[in-house]
Amino acid sequence: MKRLLDSRLLRAAALIAGILATSGPATGQTNYVVANDDQSGVVHEGVSFYTVGTNGELTRKKEVDTEGFGISGGYFGADRIRTLKSGGQSCVYSSEATTGDVVGIVVSTLKVGGSAKGSKNDGGTSNGIGLAMNNQYLYASFTDSNTIGTFSVQSGCSLTFLNDTSVAGLQGGIINGMAVHGNMLVATYTDGSIESFSISSGTPVSNGDEQVSTATVNSQGAMYPNSVDITSDGHFAIFGDTSTSVVAEVSDISSGKLTKTVVYNSKTSINSGNVMLSADETVLYVADTEGDAITALFFDKTTGALSPGCTSGPIRGISADWSYLGGLALISQSGNGGGVYVAEFGAPSAIGIVRLKVSGATCTLQEDPKSPVADPTSPGLLSIGNFPPRSF
Amino acid sequence: MRSVSRWLLAIMICGFSIAELAAQCPARPDSGTVVTNPFSISSQKGVFTAQMTLAHSVDSAGYTHYCYKYTAPSGVVESPTWRLNPGDTLNLEILNRIKSQDDSTMNMASPEEAVCGDGGPITVSSTNVHFHGMEVPPTCHQDDVINTVIQPGSAGFKFNIQVPTVQPPGLYWYHPHIHGFTEFQVNGGAAGALIVEGMEKVRPEVSGLPEKVLIVRQQYLVPWVPGPYELTLNYQVAPSIGGSHPIIQMKPGEKQFWRVANATIQDFLSLQVQVNGKAEPLEVIALDGFPLSKTRNQDTILIPPAGRAEFIVQAPAKGQSGVFFTQAYSTGPTGNPDIQETLADIQLNDNASSPVMPIAPASPTTISSDLANQTPTAQRKLFFSEEFGGTNGPIQFYITVDGQKQRVFEANEKPVITTKIGAVEDWTIENRALETHAFHMHQIHFLVLEVDGKPVANQDLRDTLQVPFWEGTGPFHSIKVRMDFRPPVVAGTFVFHCHILLHEDLGMMHKILVEP
Repeated sequence: MKRLLDSRLLRAAALIAGILATSGPATGQTNYVVANDDQSGVVHEGVSFYTVGTNGELTRKKEVDTEGFGISGGYFGADRIRTLKSGGQSCVYSSEATTGDVVGIVVSTLKVGGSAKGSKNDGGTSNGIGLAMNNQYLYASFTDSNTIGTFSVQSGCSLTFLNDTSVAGLQGGIINGMAVHGNMLVATYTDGSIESFSISSGTPVSNGDEQVSTATVNSQGAMYPNSVDITSDGHFAIFGDTSTSVVAEVSDISSGKLTKTVVYNSKTSINSGNVMLSADETVLYVADTEGDAITALFFDKTTGALSPGCTSGPIRGISADWSYLGGLALISQSGNGGGVYVAEFGAPSAIGIVRLKVSGATCTLQEDPKSPVADPTSPGLLSIGNFPPRSF
Repeated sequence: MRSVSRWLLAIMICGFSIAELAAQCPARPDSGTVVTNPFSISSQKGVFTAQMTLAHSVDSAGYTHYCYKYTAPSGVVESPTWRLNPGDTLNLEILNRIKSQDDSTMNMASPEEAVCGDGGPITVSSTNVHFHGMEVPPTCHQDDVINTVIQPGSAGFKFNIQVPTVQPPGLYWYHPHIHGFTEFQVNGGAAGALIVEGMEKVRPEVSGLPEKVLIVRQQYLVPWVPGPYELTLNYQVAPSIGGSHPIIQMKPGEKQFWRVANATIQDFLSLQVQVNGKAEPLEVIALDGFPLSKTRNQDTILIPPAGRAEFIVQAPAKGQSGVFFTQAYSTGPTGNPDIQETLADIQLNDNASSPVMPIAPASPTTISSDLANQTPTAQRKLFFSEEFGGTNGPIQFYITVDGQKQRVFEANEKPVITTKIGAVEDWTIENRALETHAFHMHQIHFLVLEVDGKPVANQDLRDTLQVPFWEGTGPFHSIKVRMDFRPPVVAGTFVFHCHILLHEDLGMMHKILVEP
């Protein structure tokens, strides 16, 4: 009964936060949605910057040429763009899978501040380079070499490569999604394995908790964690699974190690490849990567439990304009986010806008009439992000 | 993971092959030349005997050839047509002479059941043979593809098969079916026609007509890496852009009996013959080797990968021009684009000579099926599904019995369906994936009852049928078919799968046990 009451209070708070969220970003702050355009072939890769209007509308301001080359695709769980606002630094970091580097862009000037490659063996030509970071270090998952490269964040948004950590799933899986919280990095592999690392010294050191996820075991390998997010208090790691339904798994990591995951299945749509918590952690957004919709699940950050929320209608343009839904960014950096932006993987690509309304224990997700917003230079958009980043 | 391994394997194979392999396979015909029927081997006094060697080479354009070589009186030929009569004995010896490759980067689990043939790890150099569409036992030295492994360099493997007396006259085909690597070998051209004689007895419309045996194949430089592909007609490249098309010669206005096999690895053929730009009616005689109870005219004949269509074509009149081509076919957002291609230009020639179909010495004069009137003993639901971990994979391909867990095929798996000889079952097969799949059943034909829940106008007997992709909204597309497990010869364990060969190789396949 108490849990039910708590849950209702949380949802009421979420409703209020959602209403507040529609008021848009704080004044005096330029908010961006950024996109790793992932160009391959002969066109240089770039990062597109979209300003966020008061109602969450997007206006494409500029594409910054990052001078390398991408691959126009790859793993869904590997987030190819991350942002930093800390200690006077405002940066956007973007990976370039073919040239194997990570580029830092100074937000105030929208110019490249620096770039760095990993070791000579590091590369992402097969399935991309995912990124995760805290204020000091940036971690790059190189899918060719199955390594996590550690870079230290330098002034001017530049990076210095420190070293590589070789990794692998228990059955030989390739590094895929990564998330960082405090001194912990959590990673997924393409064989269903998950693992956490201590990053207290910068370089990832396994916590010795590598395991095959519960959904992977139950499905005999048919489902596996793809992307990962971590709660603000570092209590739970939440995984979005490659699956033929929406499957998310939650692991209690409060001990500093991964524990056996609890599986939540909403049985709608296909492939919860990308997940993202709202700022107040009441909602977990799920991109139905291979389906055609966005799902919102209610999240109880005290217990780590997920409960059914709502699913949008079909996002416009499936098949005709795009083939996959990719990464997510929040419409609002406060409350329940008020919905999400979602990468629409096509040639050219676009960014969809899906708005959330919460009413008590129910919600609705609806695509904005002005959605999508074109990303005309991207032939395969998978990763987008918010600047400034979510607070955790 | 598998995708990555296969990609690396491909690079390695291409690299090594071009450098090291001499031309083990016969030269293939140049583009723009007259298409001729494959060399054919006929049974003699009720016995068909042949020895064929599977070899491997790389052509000057970098395409890998896998070829069934047969020594004919005129020299070595590739993938001859086998011609048998119902009731014949088929004695076939296969020699695997694929040049040993460094295939250490990938192999598939070997079956743990009774090994048939050489055993050992299954690699890209292993092979076996599937007698596609034939209603023969799924046992060792017959049509077993689960346990039969023929390793390179080993002594010849002998097949001994009794063609049922009730085998319908029509076009079947043979090809390797070695799990994990079927796509490699069929992409390389290892496939040929198998004709059960006697069509003229069942469908007299074809009696005395010139016969064309046309095998459409498909070749990729690397079969599972997206990129341009080439269709070929009897091994002659049909270029999609530029170049000269294969030539089919006909006398003006004459009727010919065309027997077309879709031996591509994944192309859905939407066939038309156009005269002066207009689709001509094609008189359909048989599908998947099963003669229709009544012929029908169609402008377009859709043949999924592994399917066959036999039909009568009337040549253009003098002064007209004709083409044989496949229309573009949408296989869905995650499917391979099947583009429009001209397979051949029809060249009118008063002196064109085409061999007339041989007359079978003895064959059934009627083929009838009472399957439509049977009461099904079981209803089952299966579905195709896919999971993408990324745009380039890893991709998992599943065919699943509803209620069971999704999993890919493993050589040592237990059958996912068990039934008995005498059973007649109705199966509904849904497609929950965003690309079209081609459902294929080994050993038996099935009767097509419904598409998307609605009864079909023509209840044809097929062994392979397309299940269209899911659009992302609305109900899944489906087919409902009636399986006939009454013939005692099909007792045993065999497989059903998607006949897009990459999907099959990656596990969109399972076993069924038919108990005696």
